[in-house]
Amino acid sequence: MKRPAAILALVLFALTISIVAYRILWLKYPVLPTIPGQVWQVSFEARIRPEKREAVIAIALPAEQAERVLIEERVTSDTLNFNLFPEGVNRIGLWSGTSDKEVVIITYKGALLLRPTRFPASQNPTLSSNVPAITHEEEAFMERFSARLKTLDSQQRFKTVASVTGGRQEESLSREDIDILHKMEKKHGRSGALLILFRAAGLPAHAVSGLLLAKGIQKSPATWVEAWEGQKWQSLDTQTGKIYTDPAMHLALAMADTPVVQVTKGQVLDTRWSMERQIMSKWRLHFERIKRSQHLIDKWSFFSIPEEFQNVFRILLLVPVGALMICLLRNVIGFPTFGIFMPVLLALAFRSTGLPYGLGIFASVVLIGYAARRGLDRLRLLLVPRLSVLLTLVIICFGLFALIGGKLSIRALMGVGLLPIVILAMSIERFFILIEESGVGEALRTAAGTVAVAVITFIIIQWEPLQLTFFIYPELLFAVAGLQVLLGRYTGYRVSELFRFKAVARKKG
Amino acid sequence: MMFQLFKELRDAGLLGMNRRNAEYIMRYNSRARFPMVDNKVLTKQLAREYGVPTPELYHMIEHHGDIAGLEEALGDHMEFALKPACGSGGSGIVLIVDRGPEGFVSQSGRTTSRRDFTYHIASILSGIYSLSGQEDVAIVEALIHPAPIFAEVTYRGVPDIRIIVYCGVPVMAMTRLPTLASDGKANLHAGAIGAGIDMEKGVTLTAVHRSKVITHHPDTGNPIEGVTIPYWDSMLLTAAKAFEMTGLGYIGVDLVIDRTRGPLLLELNARPGLQIQVANESGLWERLVAVNQAPPEVFFKAEDRVAWAKKAFTARERL
Repeated sequence: MKRPAAILALVLFALTISIVAYRILWLKYPVLPTIPGQVWQVSFEARIRPEKREAVIAIALPAEQAERVLIEERVTSDTLNFNLFPEGVNRIGLWSGTSDKEVVIITYKGALLLRPTRFPASQNPTLSSNVPAITHEEEAFMERFSARLKTLDSQQRFKTVASVTGGRQEESLSREDIDILHKMEKKHGRSGALLILFRAAGLPAHAVSGLLLAKGIQKSPATWVEAWEGQKWQSLDTQTGKIYTDPAMHLALAMADTPVVQVTKGQVLDTRWSMERQIMSKWRLHFERIKRSQHLIDKWSFFSIPEEFQNVFRILLLVPVGALMICLLRNVIGFPTFGIFMPVLLALAFRSTGLPYGLGIFASVVLIGYAARRGLDRLRLLLVPRLSVLLTLVIICFGLFALIGGKLSIRALMGVGLLPIVILAMSIERFFILIEESGVGEALRTAAGTVAVAVITFIIIQWEPLQLTFFIYPELLFAVAGLQVLLGRYTGYRVSELFRFKAVARKKG
Repeated sequence: MMFQLFKELRDAGLLGMNRRNAEYIMRYNSRARFPMVDNKVLTKQLAREYGVPTPELYHMIEHHGDIAGLEEALGDHMEFALKPACGSGGSGIVLIVDRGPEGFVSQSGRTTSRRDFTYHIASILSGIYSLSGQEDVAIVEALIHPAPIFAEVTYRGVPDIRIIVYCGVPVMAMTRLPTLASDGKANLHAGAIGAGIDMEKGVTLTAVHRSKVITHHPDTGNPIEGVTIPYWDSMLLTAAKAFEMTGLGYIGVDLVIDRTRGPLLLELNARPGLQIQVANESGLWERLVAVNQAPPEVFFKAEDRVAWAKKAFTARERL
């Protein structure tokens, strides 16, 4: 009888080991979640005063590129509607709608994963047409400037343009030309002048608005110019002409002439971007790899479902582990519990209330229920209606807790909704009958056993590394089932029986 | 330390809950046959077929609407026992000795009004006491007048005798003696005393009360050990035959000795408890293993099985 169970368990273990090994050895899954990656948390907040109760704001948001990946984004829009649409290379978020409020606050949050090893595909771009309108004088200057660069290759031409801005090598230009350049800078702005120079040099270029990837708060986006240097795009500071050595230092939001913040209706009171560097586990980063992987096993991973459902499965995948714990605690240790899986349901409910409040709520509902049940006993209600009354009472208790929680702003008290109400009502009945039949001691022991098992299960399912492990390697559930099969064939003594039979064993020994 | 304790239990041949469930109940007790023992009405029918005496069935209440007709159906019977047909552990059982305008007088002297009594029957019917929580039937049967053998060591109520039968072989027995704490119930969980019985002679041995070994009854103060049980051989035979009756390989057979009718089969239990080992200060497992090793010819007739068991499981051998 024991053998088939052992074989089944072995098959389940082998299945688990082979799938996990395949993932680790062939697909290079990380084994330990240690090495942190480069992740920036970009937060944006703007306060807007609607005009005649209407507001329309367009904000350029970070877009996914080869060297950076958006891990998660969140938007709040107050009473406004939010729409996302691409505009050329830019990604524009449009908040629009009506509001009776004085001030509307909109926010955006995004986590960016930088992958500096991957550079954008190097293809020869065409010349930009986004050049300001120019005068005859400027045109003549451009002709002189481009004639001077004619013999140079694109890399040298790029360097020359870079050195001319910021006034470091103005001596290479004639006095007259320097005057014209200064005039141009005044007229078109530094970036405008730079674009004209690059145009003259025959290099594709465009202005970029964006943020510095540096910890802190930025009140307004920075502007720089990106130009084609022959092999790749290079970014130039418009003020100093300095070339940004590390392209990962900047986060482009809007290319060409698109401004980062565009207000059609209403008035922007203030905007702020804040950048925060985040440490993320290697596993978390690996999620991204799995999401984009073409392997069948990756395509069928839990990462393919929307994030909100992923969170549910993170917990659900651990419920069998909780059940395994119950097998262990009941059949090997010998804990008494109300109902078989009541502790698992309690543990799940504790997730929204937290442990102290969860236990408090559980204890008070059972006690209130017990008092009520004693009273009900005199009314001689039939079983099903009696349980219904208890169920109603449980709901009333929950309602009261939520209301008290609302008054005292204790979120945990409002999160009672997930407690297993029906089972709680049954527990009250069982608690009452147990007290009547076997005494208070036995009933309290059973209640304590239930709580102990629930707490142990709660600690397990809340442990994040375990959640992630099961999420990445869901095949571990086969191994859990294997262990459950093996425990099902455990015919040894329970620890509680050691105490129960100790006297007999001693006597005989 | 822990492993040492495990080993001690193993060496003493004690049966644990897990082994009982996996290796004996699940292996020898077919699920399909459970209703025969879980439902007292079916047990009674079965016992009648096999000529085993049981307490007389007066009346059965199946529907809430039939509760009102109880007293008419009872007729002259003033005393009776009301039980849930599928109850377990003695819960829901009420023993009535008289009936008057005030209501029903229970054995403990309490008067229960007719309204309360009706409510209790309705509770039984809605299944609070039933094993699976499903709707139940209330049965009304003759009240047992226990033979006075245990009078010295019983506080009210009806003492009963539990015999564990494995593959038709009676392996261990105890008598359950009600106490003040158990409110006349012969249920160990409720606080009754369990006294082991020597299988050969039918004489009481040590006793367990609330998982402690005792020598004297806590209420009457009399010694429990050394009471000789009458009809012992016939009770062992009845127990052995319960195997043929039910087809269940591992059962607890509960008997009572009525003053006038002698031993009666009270009920059968497909999941008999393990506390009997404490009452006997002896392990069940080693006895079950001994049965497995018994020569096959032992098993053909109930009489042979009893004879073999008496020889194999006498307490003296061990002392």
